[in-house]
Amino acid sequence: MAEPASRRDARQAQPESRADETQIDERVLVERARQGDLEAYDALVRRYQERIYATVYHMTSNHEDANDLAQEAFIKAFHALNSFKGGSSFYTWVYRIAVNKTINFLKQRRNRTLMSLDDLDFNAEHNPDLVALISERTPRREVNLVELQEKLNEAMQRLSEPHRLVVTLHDVQGLSHEEIAKIMECNIGTVRSRLFYARQQLQAFLSDYLK
Amino acid sequence: MNPEQENFESLRRLLTLKRHEQPPPGYFNRFSREVIARIEAGEMGADRRSWIENHSWLQSLWRALETKPIMAGTFGAAVCALLFCGIIYSEQSPSLSVGLPVAENPELPMFQASSRPLELAPPTTQYLLTSNAAVPSLPAREMDLFQLLGTPSAQPASLVFPRN
Repeated sequence: MAEPASRRDARQAQPESRADETQIDERVLVERARQGDLEAYDALVRRYQERIYATVYHMTSNHEDANDLAQEAFIKAFHALNSFKGGSSFYTWVYRIAVNKTINFLKQRRNRTLMSLDDLDFNAEHNPDLVALISERTPRREVNLVELQEKLNEAMQRLSEPHRLVVTLHDVQGLSHEEIAKIMECNIGTVRSRLFYARQQLQAFLSDYLK
Repeated sequence: MNPEQENFESLRRLLTLKRHEQPPPGYFNRFSREVIARIEAGEMGADRRSWIENHSWLQSLWRALETKPIMAGTFGAAVCALLFCGIIYSEQSPSLSVGLPVAENPELPMFQASSRPLELAPPTTQYLLTSNAAVPSLPAREMDLFQLLGTPSAQPASLVFPRN
């Protein structure tokens, strides 16, 4: 039976309206936080903490550093709320703060990489991509997931900060080129070229583990 | 498929491993709480700093205490000594908080000698903070229960058992 057009339109409009609601909700929370309402700011932190932490973690490959930097980014954002004009989303703005903080930290810590990796979750063993990668005839067939994780993080740390950031945001976190360009305050062409170069580098570093 | 994507397909699959790296369980339950606590602590610290900055002599004292451990130790010892003296002084002085008689006639003595037998004279004084009407109207020092009982008379004990 044919679906009424009005219902179909309503269903299509639903995700869009939900996104608008989120945006409005975010604006209200930001306004309340700006007036010193810590509960509102707590709600904002909860909303973005996982993504911010993950970005910083993938950049540093160190849980303790990522914890400190992510917390400091949110604290800095709270104190700078009055300077947030609302030209971009709060999410992009906090991301930018976290990324700048992380890059500054990494520049100071240059040549002194100490990895403290998070554990792999249970689902990693059942990820078809990873299972395929391990079971394929690679030069090192005996490789396990933990070893692969270490080698991957070492290779990531060998990239320059901008290249590591592009790979993290695009290939690990799944952000679009446009979003990355906003966060990094550069044009999309730069994002694409950095991504290509970073992948080439990674592929060279990890050639033993790739088909 | 785009040749660029095809070339990086294995790498893309390998990079999915990064998505499975997770912080310890419960980490994100604590995260926002810690952020808010640090913000609050920072604000309290800022308030304290601004208050100290408004009092220049306090600021110089604070700086001296921060930079000179000997001075901080001496200051701490002085505070402890003062506290100790205060405790000793408060223990030696008579308690004046409850049952303090308020003399209607200032010529009457406030306390009578306890060695004399008690005389239940009509009350000449009023007591502060007395809620019980049955309390005898005696000066505070003479309300000692042991004195009310009088001096007990001692009798020698006999250890000889009576014979039937």
